[in-house]
Amino acid sequence: MNKKLTLEEVTGKLGRFGTVEQARFNRIRVSMEPDTIRDAIIAAQGDLACERLLAISTADNTETLELIYHLIGPHRTVISLATRLPSHLPKIRTISDILPPAGIYERQIHDLFGITFDGHPGLNRLMLNEDWPEGEYPLRKDWKPEPGRFYGGIREDRS
Amino acid sequence: MTDPLFPLLYILVFPGFLFLLAYALILEYIDRWITARMQNRVGPPWFQPFADLIKMLSKEVIDPAGIDRRLFDAAPLVALAAVMTAFIYVPVIGSSPFAFEGDIVLVLYLLSIPTIILFLLGWLSRNVYAAMGGIRTVTQLFIYEVPFFLALLTPALMAGSWSISSIVAWQQQHLWCAILQPIGFIVALIGLQAKLERPPFDIPEAETEIVAGPWTELTGRRLAIMHLAVDVSLVVGSGLVAAMFLGGPAFPWSVEPGWLAGLSGLIVFLVKTFCVLFLLSAIKVATGRIRIDQLNDIGWKYIATAALVQVALVLAIQSARVIP
Amino acid sequence: MAHVVIPVGPQHPALKEPVNFRVVADGEKIVRLEIDLSYNHRGIEKAAESRDFIRVLPLLERVCGICSHSHATCFAKGIEELMQLEIPQRAQYIRTIVAELERMHSHLLWLGVAAHEIGFNTLFMWTWRDRETVQDILEEISGNRVNYNMNEIGGVRCDISPEQAGSILKRLPLLEERIGEYVKMAKSQRTMLMRFCGVGKLSRAEILRYGAVGPTARASGVDYDARRDDPYLIYNTIPWNVVTDEDGDVFGRTKVRIGELRESLGMVRYCLENLPGGPIRVQAPKTAPSGGEILSRYEAPRGELVHFIRTNGTDKVERLDIRTPTLANWTSVAAALVDQNLADIPVIVAAIDPCLSCTSRLVVADRKSGKTGNISWNELRNGVCRIRPGSNRI
Repeated sequence: MNKKLTLEEVTGKLGRFGTVEQARFNRIRVSMEPDTIRDAIIAAQGDLACERLLAISTADNTETLELIYHLIGPHRTVISLATRLPSHLPKIRTISDILPPAGIYERQIHDLFGITFDGHPGLNRLMLNEDWPEGEYPLRKDWKPEPGRFYGGIREDRS
Repeated sequence: MTDPLFPLLYILVFPGFLFLLAYALILEYIDRWITARMQNRVGPPWFQPFADLIKMLSKEVIDPAGIDRRLFDAAPLVALAAVMTAFIYVPVIGSSPFAFEGDIVLVLYLLSIPTIILFLLGWLSRNVYAAMGGIRTVTQLFIYEVPFFLALLTPALMAGSWSISSIVAWQQQHLWCAILQPIGFIVALIGLQAKLERPPFDIPEAETEIVAGPWTELTGRRLAIMHLAVDVSLVVGSGLVAAMFLGGPAFPWSVEPGWLAGLSGLIVFLVKTFCVLFLLSAIKVATGRIRIDQLNDIGWKYIATAALVQVALVLAIQSARVIP
Repeated sequence: MAHVVIPVGPQHPALKEPVNFRVVADGEKIVRLEIDLSYNHRGIEKAAESRDFIRVLPLLERVCGICSHSHATCFAKGIEELMQLEIPQRAQYIRTIVAELERMHSHLLWLGVAAHEIGFNTLFMWTWRDRETVQDILEEISGNRVNYNMNEIGGVRCDISPEQAGSILKRLPLLEERIGEYVKMAKSQRTMLMRFCGVGKLSRAEILRYGAVGPTARASGVDYDARRDDPYLIYNTIPWNVVTDEDGDVFGRTKVRIGELRESLGMVRYCLENLPGGPIRVQAPKTAPSGGEILSRYEAPRGELVHFIRTNGTDKVERLDIRTPTLANWTSVAAALVDQNLADIPVIVAAIDPCLSCTSRLVVADRKSGKTGNISWNELRNGVCRIRPGSNRI
């Protein structure tokens, strides 16, 4: 097992994309703008030997939606690339072409948060049932189920 | 033999249909019980197969959309009728009174009917699992049928007769064919296992792949009858193997009077079919399911070759006149 | 021949949980696979945001019946790190014991399921019988066979007395012997070898490319194991090895899991023999610091589990994002299935030990038992959770 990446190494390779900080002894966080995330991932793959995508985490900060791509490699240091998208129009390039497992994570995020991933080959429903109403993203903070609305399943009024 | 009632009794009561049906269900129970014990389970109570049959007979019959209902109703009956007819020629208490030169061919043919029916049912069901199961059923039929037939031919070749009862009689004078032709015996057992679609050859009804294969759309009495047909096939199959390779119901000593001879024949028959069933159950417990392409490989490369080798050996022995 | 679409699921004998695969096949060869997981969504992540830490733990146990301890521990250790709590050694040992027992029962379950998928029901019956031993031990420790509810923020709920430890240690040799039996069986049983060897093969490069985790990855020689890479609990102080294999097929995955069974057994034995004294929990603060963010990694039986936790200074989480091992493994399954036989779908899918309950995290309670008084949870239930009753893979 190789030794852990240091903050300096990561700053050297990814510093041009955004601010780099040590989040934990084995996790380094880089915050950046949405349009640079793809290049940052390619750079992390190439220069920092990050071979795997651990997860794509999402959080809703009300005005913005935060996307965090966690990458890991033989150095066993988690590189978290974070970016923020505006809540009213969340859109970002897909990375499923450079990191295939991202495809299914992006589908999940699209389902639950309504973030659109441009260029994703099939951004279909994954988590929510097929009769779930369009445009309702249950994990957003401002989402509340409307009492009169049909959220799928068997209609109660069926006689 | 001249009593006109005798053939009727033979066919309908004993050892014909009534005995056959009861014995088929008992054999099913024994199979399930052996399997359960080997798998460390308790197993069902003895009347479970009877209860299952009665329950299924009383259940609603559901017609899949767009099927030919009459054909669907008739098919399981045809299968059951075919295998029950086959049983008449299998020696149970002695030679079958209906035996004729060539009955082995008829029995083998009748035994294939349920398989064909299963394919038909699968094809008629208009269901993707059933259709796939049906296709697998015939594919499998083409693989095991040739070695199975060849294996069952070898005793006939050796005994120089095409009648099961004469083959039994020949074995009584000489030796069991299982000893003379061990390869043929093993091939016959494998073929029978494949014919009955039991593991490792339960490919057509592979539960975890295609639900129940051709059985998927069978419900109620259709399912009950088809199930019964398979149980009867088990009796006929094991009885046939017992007759062809294990000397059939023949008792080593001549027994007087006649009824005692019949009883001893029946006991021998029961013991031998149990033995065959035990072997089949052991195979079932000890294996997983193989794939159809693997079965194709094994079937044609090894099993068919083994059967051919056995036939060749028998022919060689015949021409060398080792056994008179 | 034209392509045929074969629906597998949501109700299918091969599946223990509702999921829908649309298998596009050409004859008996698979061309493509489409997955729909939408049958089991329970909104646990949303529900977690409206409950305090004490009540989130039992909720997270219900993410999955099999790896319930994994989810709870993963969350608890994350929150504890944010609170900067020092957990007593004894609590760490007990958590490890339960975690490894859970891994054993999960792997035994898997072995049985895999055998069942190829129609080898004898092994299925045998492993599930031995799994009972593990579950009895777990019941003895925690009072429950599944959903042990051992964790609290700050430690564990109940202690292991010396008598309990002794009685557990007495049962381990039998399990060890049985595991040895399975090793022999896996290496010599003909039909199992025929169905497992060379099936669903994924090379090391493919595993990395498709991001598979856990035994699936380790079977292809990718030695990622969060227990070693990101040590938590006491894994860096007790003796054990990461089990890897080079085969990369279903057989390799079987070997890895059987190897892990042995390792887990060794760990349980070591922990029970060297159980340190002291308290089993510390008093935890009610709230977690504001703006805390942690990525908590845990090696669940099925692979690496990741909880991304955000706190906001209250006694509830701001956001809990769960990435389950099964979700990470789906991509590799879809890749492994291409060009394989239709008959191999069940076993290839089973080889990653899919847990759909984990993956889609949906229905918790049946809707009649409206036990929770929490308003937002009720709203959720009324709106969302009546959709489909979920299976709790047990």
